[in-house]
Parts: sequence; structure tokens; C-alpha cells
Amino acid sequence: MEQETGMRALAQRLGRRVVIIAALTVAAIIPLVVHNPYAIHIGILIFLYGYLATAWGLVGQSGQLSFGHAAFLGLGAYTSTILFNQAGVTPWLGMLAGGGIAMAAGAGIGYPTLRLRGVYFALATLAFAYSLQIFVRTTNWLGPIRIGAGPGLHVLLVNGGNAPSLFQFPSKEPYYYIALGMVAGIVALSYYLNRTRIGYYWAAIRGDPDAAESLGISVARYRIRAFLLSCFLTGLGGTFYAQYFLALDPRRVLGVSLSIEIALVGIVGGWQSVFGPLLGSLVLIPIGQLTRAQLGSSLPGLHLLIYGVILMLFIQFLPQGLNSPVMRGLRWAEAKVWRPREYSTYERGGK
Amino acid sequence: MVESVAAAAVMGIQMGCVYAVIAIGLSIIFGIIRVINFAHGAILMLFMYLGYYLWALWGIDPYLSILIVVPAAFGCGYLVQYIIVRPLFVREKAYVVEPLGVLMLMAGFDLVLSNMGLMAFSPDIRSVTTGYTFNTIHIGFLILNQARITLIPIVTALVFGLYRLLNRTELGNTIRSVGQNREAAAVCGINVHHIYALTFGIGCAVTALGGCCMLTFVPLEPSMGLPMAINAFIVVVLGGMGSIPGMLLAGIIIGLVQAIGAQFMFGTYAIIVSLVIFILIILLRPRGLMGRIEV
Repeated sequence: MEQETGMRALAQRLGRRVVIIAALTVAAIIPLVVHNPYAIHIGILIFLYGYLATAWGLVGQSGQLSFGHAAFLGLGAYTSTILFNQAGVTPWLGMLAGGGIAMAAGAGIGYPTLRLRGVYFALATLAFAYSLQIFVRTTNWLGPIRIGAGPGLHVLLVNGGNAPSLFQFPSKEPYYYIALGMVAGIVALSYYLNRTRIGYYWAAIRGDPDAAESLGISVARYRIRAFLLSCFLTGLGGTFYAQYFLALDPRRVLGVSLSIEIALVGIVGGWQSVFGPLLGSLVLIPIGQLTRAQLGSSLPGLHLLIYGVILMLFIQFLPQGLNSPVMRGLRWAEAKVWRPREYSTYERGGK
Repeated sequence: MVESVAAAAVMGIQMGCVYAVIAIGLSIIFGIIRVINFAHGAILMLFMYLGYYLWALWGIDPYLSILIVVPAAFGCGYLVQYIIVRPLFVREKAYVVEPLGVLMLMAGFDLVLSNMGLMAFSPDIRSVTTGYTFNTIHIGFLILNQARITLIPIVTALVFGLYRLLNRTELGNTIRSVGQNREAAAVCGINVHHIYALTFGIGCAVTALGGCCMLTFVPLEPSMGLPMAINAFIVVVLGGMGSIPGMLLAGIIIGLVQAIGAQFMFGTYAIIVSLVIFILIILLRPRGLMGRIEV
């Protein structure tokens, strides 16, 4: 095959990676160009929700729905904050502990319910998140541990918030890059898992659990693995949430509306795909933030109402989520622009 | 001590009856359409507000407003199923085994309804006070509140009526046949989507009836739907999806556990006890106390 010159050759050699590299570059450059803190804040939220929805999507990849992911986020956030406030453990380590606690709680919910078919798991996660919220809101001291009841907890500020070793930064930019790193990491992980044995098992299970079972795949086991991994990663996200907002309000951090927002972002993006949840976050979070900023004071709950309408429209008209048309577009662009030669025979030969 | 436990037990049975009615609404919908109605709590909240406004604006007694609220709920339920849910069933031609799509749809519908409620009714807590709100009847050492005790005959009549409707009438046979096998029922000439919409309407009507019974003693707020819905989910799983007597039994058990538990612990721990029951029943007997649907 003769070598072409110029941009097309470069694109050809890089292939699909070019999209990812371009997106990462743009994302990394934005804070250097845009200095508006509110824009950076929205960027951080997009990455945070993208991260959480991708973690949530791991459960979706095994063909189940969780409506209680705020509980695991909250467990991660509370664990690292309590460890830091009361024992001085740096949240960088507390993060792992938070993930571990979230995973343990996930095991408690997952083992009984993931053996069963149907909606038990979705109901159990919802009920668990709600009960946990009630528990936290009514408990100030659990033995020697201060949970903070209704008003919640604050992360103690060290050195006016300038303590990188304690996961505290004076400006938004470091949080932006950490969030970017986290979301890139989790999407890469999800992408990698999709190309390993467990990813194929998940695909088989979500396609048809009975057929998967008959081929010797333990549906319950692989669903539990997906769920535990998802809980752990969500717990890590919880610590980021705590360190970024520096305050934990149980009504928000453990709220059912947060659980549904995470699920919503994942569903709108494409709840059984790798890149979908991030796409969903890119579209939905700016809409939600702008609605809240414009009309939040006069009409509380309007952004949730809009989210609900969007969710219903997507389930009706585009149940695979945004991921499917976007990927189709990219594939089309790849065939037409980057690799016309390789694809020309394919095109000529009909579908 | 005995008196307070007995009083709590009476309270628990009354509350349990209401839980049972709400759960029956959920369970009928699940048993026939195989849809977990995530928006159940929001629907309950909206029709309780309808009952509240009937009382506040025209002074209609909450128990009397059943005659208006329940048909309205039936109509709305019919339309919701026919307009919002039906397209999903039309698209998914095969028998829906894991109706996660519908579950997500209903979660979206719940967001819409509950936030509409929040915007329309403001977060203030309201309550209905009738002439008999504080009337009590003394039987031995038991003190029965007239407003609460009235619901027990209504609930009993409802449970028997529904049981007969589903098991002894032509319509009931049709509904149950659709629940058992959608395709076979359609082959026999039954309009499946009409029956589904009827079922959803009946489920909503039953729920609204529970809401009217609650109006006299439960304060109203827009966020009340979710805890009620979670309670109903727990009752449905405990009683066994698709069994009406099971709902009544499970509702009373949950009501008793919560009311008696509240005597010894903080009231808010009741929901945690319910969660433990929920997990235990899933672990030990997933089909519930009286359920017939295999899991």
C-alpha cells in the first residue's frame, strides 16, 4: 500500500485514536484558555458525572439497573471525610478506604438480589440508598464516629485550602485535571474490560441471561463482579466530590435524586456502552446547570423536571442512547474521510 | 407498657391497611403488565392533593371525595398506560422478560410528576382537619381514632371486591389471562393494550383510594411520594408480587413493625428495619409470603 503524505496519512496511521487524542487535548487546553471559574466548574461537573455515570454503567453492561448509586458515592465521601477529620488520614488514602466501604455495602445488597431475575436489584438499591440517607440524617454520633446528622459534615480546611497532599487545592484547575484524569481512566478501564473475557461475558448476559447461563456463564457471579467494581469506583468518586465541594449534605450526597441523575446521565448517553455515559454527561450537565442557574430560584425542581422529560423522550425514541448515533457518525466519518481506500471495497460490495 | 404497645399495634394495623392498599395498586400493575410503577409514589401524591383541594375549596369530606378522586385516578392511569407506556410494548414485540426499559421510563415519569408537584404545590406541609379528626372511641383500654378507624371497613371491602373482580368475573379472567400470556390472549381476540391500560387504571384508582383514606391523618407534602413508594415496594416484595391477600398481610406486618418499633426506637429507624426485612425476604423466600410468581 503506497504511503500517502500530509494530514490524511497521519490520520490513517492513528485511526480512531485521533478522536480520543483530539478530545483529550481540547479538554486539557480549556483551563489554559478559559479563565471563567464558572465554566471550569461546569467542566468539573461534566467529568464528575461522566465518571459516576460510567461507573454506574458497568452495572448496566451486565444488564442490571441501579437506582441507588448515590449511596455508594455518599459512603466514599463520608468515609474519607470522617477519616480525615477525625484521624487525620489524607483523603488520597481515605479514597481507597471509601471505595472499600462502598464495595462492602454493595456486597451486602448485591449478593441477595443479583441471584434473582427481574427488578429486585433495582428496588433493593433504591431502598438501600433511601434507608442510608434516613440513617445518616438522624445519627450524629455512631459510637466514636461523628456523622453529623442532618446538617452533614464539612471537610476541615488546612492552610486555607492549599494542601495538595491532603487533596485540597486553592483553585479549581487542579480539581479539573484530577477529574479529567479520573474520567479518562475509568473510560479506558471500561474500554479495556470490554475487550477481555469478562466484557464478553457481560455482553452475553445483557443480551440474554438464560442463553448465557446455558453456555456455562454464571450470571450472578459476573453481575456481582460488575456491581462491586462499580461500587468501588463510585466510592472513589465520592471522595472527589467531598474534596471538591468540601461539604456533605446528606440530602444531596445520599439523595435519591442524585442516584436518579447519575442513572439518567448514563441512560441518555447509552447505558450499555463504553463512551455513552460520558457523552450523556457532556450534553445533560450543561443543560441542568444552566436551567438551575437561570430559573433555580423561582422554580425549584425545574431542572429535574426537564431531566425527566429528556429521559422519557430518550426511552421512547432513542433507547440505545446518544452513543449509538454518535458512533454511527464517527464510523461514517472514518469510512469517508480517514480511510477511504480501505473502506472503498466494503462500500462497493454493498452492506 | 401494655397499653402503649396495644395503642401502637392499633396504629400499626391502621397504617398497615393503607400501605397494603397502596401496595395492591403496585402489585396489580406488576402482576399483569410486569411493570414496576416507579412513579407510584408521585401518582399517589398528586391524587392526595386532588383530595386535599376538594376538601379545602369545596369542603368535601376526604372519605366522600373517594367518589371523585378514584374515577379520576382510573382515567389518568388508563391514559398514562395507553399514551406513555404502550409504545414501548409495541416496539418490544416479544414478551417482556426484564422490563428495564419501562422501569427507566417510569423513573423519568416520576421525576416529571414529583417536580411538577413541587412547583405547583410548594413544599409547605398541609393537612386536612375534619369534624371527627379528634373523635375517639374507647374499647377497654384501647383508644380508637374515628378518622383512622373508618378506613378499615373501606379497605376490607376493597380487598374483597378486588379479589372477586379478578377471580370471579369475565373481566377478571380476561385481565389474568393477559397477565399469564400476552400472545395467547391476543390470539384469542383480547385487546391486550386495552386490558393493560384498564389494569394500570385500576392500579392507580386503588392507590388513590389509599391516598384518600390517608388524607385524614397523614400530613401532605410534595416529597411524600418517594417514602410511600419505597414502603410499597417493600410490602410488595414481602407479600409476594401478584397476590392480593399477601399484600394485606405484608402491609399489616410492616405497619406493625414500624409502629411498635417507633415505641422503642427512633421513628426513623422504622424504615431501616423495613429494609432489613426486605433483604431477608429476598435472601430466604424471594417469592414473598404468599406470592405465586416464580423468580
